[in-house]
Amino acid sequence: MESRVNMRLFVVWLILVGITVAYLAIDRAANDHGLATASTAVTVAAICLALVKVRIIMREFMEVRGAPQALCRLTDFWVVLMGVAMLGVYLAGRAIA
Amino acid sequence: MMRPAILDDPKRELWLAWYATVGFYSLYTVVFFIITRTQPPGKPWYDPSQVVGWFAGRHDGLLIGFALIFVLGGLSATSLALITYSIRRMSVSRAFAYSYLILYAVAAVPGFLFICTAMTVGAMRPERSPALLQWLYDLAFLSFSGTMGVFLIGSLIWMTAILLDKNHVFPKWFGYLNLCNALTEVVVAPSWIFHEGALAWNGAIAWWINVVVFALYTGAFIYLLRSMILREDFGTGPLPGLDSKVWRTIVPVEATV
Amino acid sequence: MTTTQEPLVVVREQGTRHIPGQPDMWVFVFFESLVFTAYFCVYLYSRTQHERAFLHGQSQLLAWLGVLDTVVLLTSSWTMARCVQHARAGRYAPARRDAFLTAGLGFVFLVLKIVEWVRLIHLGHTFTSSEFFQYYFFLTAIHCVHLLIGFVVLGVLVWKLSASQEIVETCATYWHTVDFFWVLIFALLYVVR
Repeated sequence: MESRVNMRLFVVWLILVGITVAYLAIDRAANDHGLATASTAVTVAAICLALVKVRIIMREFMEVRGAPQALCRLTDFWVVLMGVAMLGVYLAGRAIA
Repeated sequence: MMRPAILDDPKRELWLAWYATVGFYSLYTVVFFIITRTQPPGKPWYDPSQVVGWFAGRHDGLLIGFALIFVLGGLSATSLALITYSIRRMSVSRAFAYSYLILYAVAAVPGFLFICTAMTVGAMRPERSPALLQWLYDLAFLSFSGTMGVFLIGSLIWMTAILLDKNHVFPKWFGYLNLCNALTEVVVAPSWIFHEGALAWNGAIAWWINVVVFALYTGAFIYLLRSMILREDFGTGPLPGLDSKVWRTIVPVEATV
Repeated sequence: MTTTQEPLVVVREQGTRHIPGQPDMWVFVFFESLVFTAYFCVYLYSRTQHERAFLHGQSQLLAWLGVLDTVVLLTSSWTMARCVQHARAGRYAPARRDAFLTAGLGFVFLVLKIVEWVRLIHLGHTFTSSEFFQYYFFLTAIHCVHLLIGFVVLGVLVWKLSASQEIVETCATYWHTVDFFWVLIFALLYVVR
């Protein structure tokens, strides 16, 4: 039981680190077009990936997975709320600029 | 004629203090936001001639509004007394209550008296040199926003008292909310450095977001003080159960302390 | 004091679902997340209004250093989660070891941050030198304040390790929050264009 729990946590950690390292690829791709240009695609990808990581941290490390449904739904809602707020402001800002 | 029940209620002084607290914060809001219009704050980048215009546009409001604060501002003591009382009711050392009382009593001076005085002085003689008016303007807003140290420590004291308390005077989430409030004091500190932008004394971060946090925090403690008075049994042990069932319904029985 | 109430959820085979730590700490997590989201929105909006200046400032950052910071903090969350599991099973010595590892990794993060700040300051980028760096130093500094508080929280955790599983989980919840705030800050400062 202990080793199963440990293995699960280890795999989660690996996934999170993997996504983090993937950012380097995104960063390099963004820079490939010369000295960085503003890019909605990169921004949206970066924010969404971050929110995926946040959800994984909440569900696995913060043990929301084993929590009452109300907490599961609330944390998911919060992740969506943060995403909508950030992406909404960003896209609106770009439209105004 | 029947003797009104309130006269014999041992909690009447507590209720008096509570209603005075509500009165004070209402007065504060009306005076600062509506009568004097000093909140939201004036812009830090104004040059002296713009400051003259700012004062001119608010002349009567400043004098009347702040006169009200000078007369009734003492009501702030009731809020402070009630909070100190709540900390005394906790199982923690009385030192927490006394430190909080001293800190916040001192904090009233930069907390709102400086701005009231500086603004009233500025409004009183509109023919003052613009440079002098700008000086008063800066003093008012910087002292209001920037002197957050006392509030920071005060919030941390209240937070620690609540988290250590075994008498369940306040729910633990309010202890953590004190931490959020304390952190907003840290966030306001850069307003001494920036004349514009999100961290200036009227900035999106240093003012707007901070005010929302502060308003929610104030609303929470006014509500919780009321809850405390309702539950008060004038003993020294744990206060009878917290009213709110909101979070209790999602905590299984065995997790309740 | 305790009242019998129906748990709101179905009992699973492995055991009852329970809220990790005090529900009160979750109130903090939700509230502070909203506050940080508000900060992020202000930053993102400013970014869109001053694209070139922000891109120029951002190009001074080292993405790999940001990745390293993130990996360090993710690892500290991992050791924190392991600590909670050990403590729950009564294995307090490994739990204590994991708690110290968590603190150590938090300290490594702090050192990396300071190194990065010093490097940027030597390059001439300070809190007041440009709008991008105003946000950069603000967000990383306020996050570091949360991290420093995290060390105090870890101290409480170690103190209460064998006494209260609820407090252990509460402290862990706080630490993971510091971690996921950084996950967002990293994406916004280092990667977003």
